[in-house]
Amino acid sequence: MKRLRDHGLSLAFTTLLLAALVGQALTGRADYNEQALGAGLPQMDLGQYVTSSQFTVDVAENWQSEYLQFLLYILLTVWLVQKGSPESKPLDKVGRETDEEQKVGAYAMDDSPAWAKASGWRRSLLSRSLGLTMGLIFLLSWLAQFIAGRSAFNADQIQGLEAPVGWGEYLASPDFWNRTFQNWQSEFLAVGSMVVLSIYLRERGSPESKPVGQPHTSTGVEG
Amino acid sequence: MLSRPGDFFVPRCVGTRGTGYGPDVHAAPLSGLLATLVGAAALSGCSGQGNPEVDAAGAAALRFSSVAPTDAATACSLLAPQTASELEQGSGSCARGLSDASPPAGGGLREVEVYGLDAMVRLDRDTVFLARFEKGWKVTAAGCTPRPDGPYECDIKGG
Repeated sequence: MKRLRDHGLSLAFTTLLLAALVGQALTGRADYNEQALGAGLPQMDLGQYVTSSQFTVDVAENWQSEYLQFLLYILLTVWLVQKGSPESKPLDKVGRETDEEQKVGAYAMDDSPAWAKASGWRRSLLSRSLGLTMGLIFLLSWLAQFIAGRSAFNADQIQGLEAPVGWGEYLASPDFWNRTFQNWQSEFLAVGSMVVLSIYLRERGSPESKPVGQPHTSTGVEG
Repeated sequence: MLSRPGDFFVPRCVGTRGTGYGPDVHAAPLSGLLATLVGAAALSGCSGQGNPEVDAAGAAALRFSSVAPTDAATACSLLAPQTASELEQGSGSCARGLSDASPPAGGGLREVEVYGLDAMVRLDRDTVFLARFEKGWKVTAAGCTPRPDGPYECDIKGG
């Protein structure tokens, strides 16, 4: 029970992810079959749908934007601050900060990660591992969106009695960039809103909020 | 036009004759979801040579093209239901409608492109569009000529 409690956040979000994916698969397939029936085209079972390029591109386009959102958030908050926001660090700590502040090298603690105590590439890699990993997942998701998106787009082209497009043509196509930008804008809006709204609004008990009584002007203070 | 899933990664593939085709990719557990996404997408390119879907689509187009000018009844059995129905509505019967449309003998196979349930086959003298139903690939449009801007102009097609 304690183990469940200690990992509640990751377990809850994993469960939510699975439930949402199942929901997307079921409703996406139903939507497809509804249209296929009307157009006299073959319908699909669930296995066919979840391995289709349309399902893949829909998943991947959302994933890439989420990882881009967090990548930018992780990196921009190193260099940019926002007065009054708990999402920002203190105004005077812009940049990568000192080894002492980051508890690396000679300032590492006994239980610090081994690579934080090390020097050279290992410490550099650990120091950037979160951004690098988020960035890699973003790029892979975006690549998946591009490849699956072209397949789905070309299927539509053929259904419309038009010739399929090549990789370069799809890269320059409105379909690819519209899928991309429509996801990006919503992510940027969500992060920007969080940064600004958390200056003035509170959620008691949440580490994403300041303590309820904390002044609006306090920066980098989380509850 | 219905927007529908373009291709099944397994085993229904995307491809043109002569490009590579990847192995099967199945739905994976959550832990491998991203790898599956990228892998599935990356493997969506597949080849004509030896790929069953590409070969089957090409064979269906060739068969239709070879019988349509001389055996309308058999050719009608190779059409997608909606395409056959369109011919029936216009001419009273599919076979009569097909004869009226005078589909050309397409000649040899030049290129096959398959994206999931949809395929376009270029023959020497025709371009044929197909969809894959439970009973196999059926012709959705034939007697098609390209237009500079816009879809192909097809003598035989669904509604």
